[in-house]
Amino acid sequence: MTLLEIRNLKKYFKNVKAVDDISFRVNKGEIFGLLGPNGAGKSTTISMISTLIKPTSGEILYKGESIVKKPSIIQKKLGVVPQDIALYPDLTGYNNLKFWGHSYGLRGKLLNKRIDEVSEIIGLKDKLKKKVNEYSGGMKRRLNIGAALLHKPELLIMDEPTVGIDPQSRNHILDTVLKLNKQGMTIIYTSHYMEEVEYVCSRISIMDNGKIIAMGTKDELIDIIKGQKKISLKFDEFSEDVVEKIKGIESVKDAYILDDEIIISTENGETIFKDIITEVSTTNSSITSIDIQKPNLETVFLHLTGKSLRD
Amino acid sequence: MLSVLMLRIMKLRNEWMLFLMMIAMTLVFSTVFGFTLSQGHSPKILIVDKDKTEYSQILIDELSKDEIFEYEFANYEDAVKMVDENKALSAVIIEDDFSEKIKNGKKTTLNILKVKENRELMIFENLLSKTTAKIAGNINIAEIITNYITENGSEDKIEIFNKAYTRMSKGLKYRRPLMIEKEIFNSSNNRYDNYKHLVIGLMLFFSMYTMVFGIGEILNERKYNTWQRQLVSPLSKFSILLGNMVYTLIIGMVQISILILFSKYIFRVEWGSSIGGILLVAFGFTFSVTSLGLLLSGIVKTHGQLSAITPVVLTSTSMLGGCMWPLEIVNSKILLALANITPQKWAIEGMERIAMYGQGFESVLFPTLVLFMMGIIFLGVGTKLVKFE
Repeated sequence: MTLLEIRNLKKYFKNVKAVDDISFRVNKGEIFGLLGPNGAGKSTTISMISTLIKPTSGEILYKGESIVKKPSIIQKKLGVVPQDIALYPDLTGYNNLKFWGHSYGLRGKLLNKRIDEVSEIIGLKDKLKKKVNEYSGGMKRRLNIGAALLHKPELLIMDEPTVGIDPQSRNHILDTVLKLNKQGMTIIYTSHYMEEVEYVCSRISIMDNGKIIAMGTKDELIDIIKGQKKISLKFDEFSEDVVEKIKGIESVKDAYILDDEIIISTENGETIFKDIITEVSTTNSSITSIDIQKPNLETVFLHLTGKSLRD
Repeated sequence: MLSVLMLRIMKLRNEWMLFLMMIAMTLVFSTVFGFTLSQGHSPKILIVDKDKTEYSQILIDELSKDEIFEYEFANYEDAVKMVDENKALSAVIIEDDFSEKIKNGKKTTLNILKVKENRELMIFENLLSKTTAKIAGNINIAEIITNYITENGSEDKIEIFNKAYTRMSKGLKYRRPLMIEKEIFNSSNNRYDNYKHLVIGLMLFFSMYTMVFGIGEILNERKYNTWQRQLVSPLSKFSILLGNMVYTLIIGMVQISILILFSKYIFRVEWGSSIGGILLVAFGFTFSVTSLGLLLSGIVKTHGQLSAITPVVLTSTSMLGGCMWPLEIVNSKILLALANITPQKWAIEGMERIAMYGQGFESVLFPTLVLFMMGIIFLGVGTKLVKFE
């Protein structure tokens, strides 16, 4: 069953096409991922779905009804976890939850019960008496999520919920997302971390420059680059011309530097090694390890756009 | 709206020190000014009457009608000595040709002895200027009447002129507003009181900060991204604004009420017979200033910018509106016209009608109406300027 439908959605800011004619559907009970680099248009799309900004044109339907015309249709059913922490730093965790619960119509015993349940889910039950400005980054992120769960939303939008936090909190959040989904909650999850989207999302839409460039399940997306392999080379040190030399090899589709590695895309996995080693030996570089990676969403994005997700 | 109100009350628990500091600051300033301008003290003005005619007496009588100053006769030497020794605020020298010049319509100069300029002296100079203008006007009219009558047969020009002048003065006196007559009979406190004016002015001035920053909290909401989160919640834009407005109105009223109570019971400031009238003006003022705060919050983008422009706007409009000194000392018609567009002017006028001049509840209805009109305009423009995204 389709819960949310986006039809030819556009959002232009003067001459900037932040979102440029996108369409997709989110089915009830799924975790739908929006993957793309910073500035791809994910947050603008989310802002329009959450009724914060109006689209330039296009339609957003929630259970078949237009929320562009009538935002109140979705507001009570929607939980939004914004990309930036949206909490009151001078209030305690408890008072923050109390206010956000109250603003969604929860009162009295029901409100207290939900604060109890949610604080359990986000793992902050014994930290609620502390003021938010005394919380760590990870605790703030978790409370930020908790504030969106109090009213048991039908649709939860999570906009980059793990930005800038420690791995432990990140894992806790990802597990929470899966747990909530198992309980029947539909989730739209945006991130520029490919691993997160791969881990939690059942269907993924890849965005770049305001457009959706690919959409499907993880396997369907990886099928786009069927046969392509990714080889990563690690060096003690490498000279600047080594990438160009590798790009010159006939079966190499692309090569680029990522941190201290050189990533190579090719359709000719094992047999290319000899050529690579020959070319590298002509430079002042020494390889310390070679790794053949399975194709993933990063490879798909690279294949579709010619750039890395982290660019 | 209730959610926002609840939120603001929860936040107040963390900000109560700031709130109390604003009240304390107003009280401290009122006390300091109170000691320097103690209630009931009338600055002394010396009159050196070299003319000693009925015209100089008219001038002295007219001046004495205003009870702000205490007048005393002195000779020139004593006057110079007393003013020099600060035993008198100033001395007015009525030269011996005063009556001749004024009768013949010539330019009359009154010399004033003073050591330094101050606010009270400015009030006196303004009073003197108004009084001489009034006398000269009366004389002119009496002159015209006299000429008319003598041209039609009567010979005794001087007698007719004197009678005409007396009639003019009496006529003007009877045409004065009734409230002034009532004021004379009511009590001994129904005259201009510097201390009371300052208490009212400073109370309004300081409370404005609480109100502007109270509604300006919506800019902090934007800073903490909670504004956007509220906007995507079921809270309507109207209820978000209303909640913030109502909270600020309550806080503003509480602050003004505390200040009135403190000044009444600690500093013995008499607030007149209609406390309901005072509170009505205070409510109109709180509404208009809160709306002004919303307007300012709509113009600027951040709370930091609001903090920068608020003192400029509030101090300049408070000076213009008469919070720091009475508008009676302002001669510029432009400044007086501009004063009319400040909420402070109308709030002071309303409160002083009751607290200073002993008038009743109905006397504040017009100033309160003006304050509400201003508030509605500020609110309308402010709502348009506030960015709901």
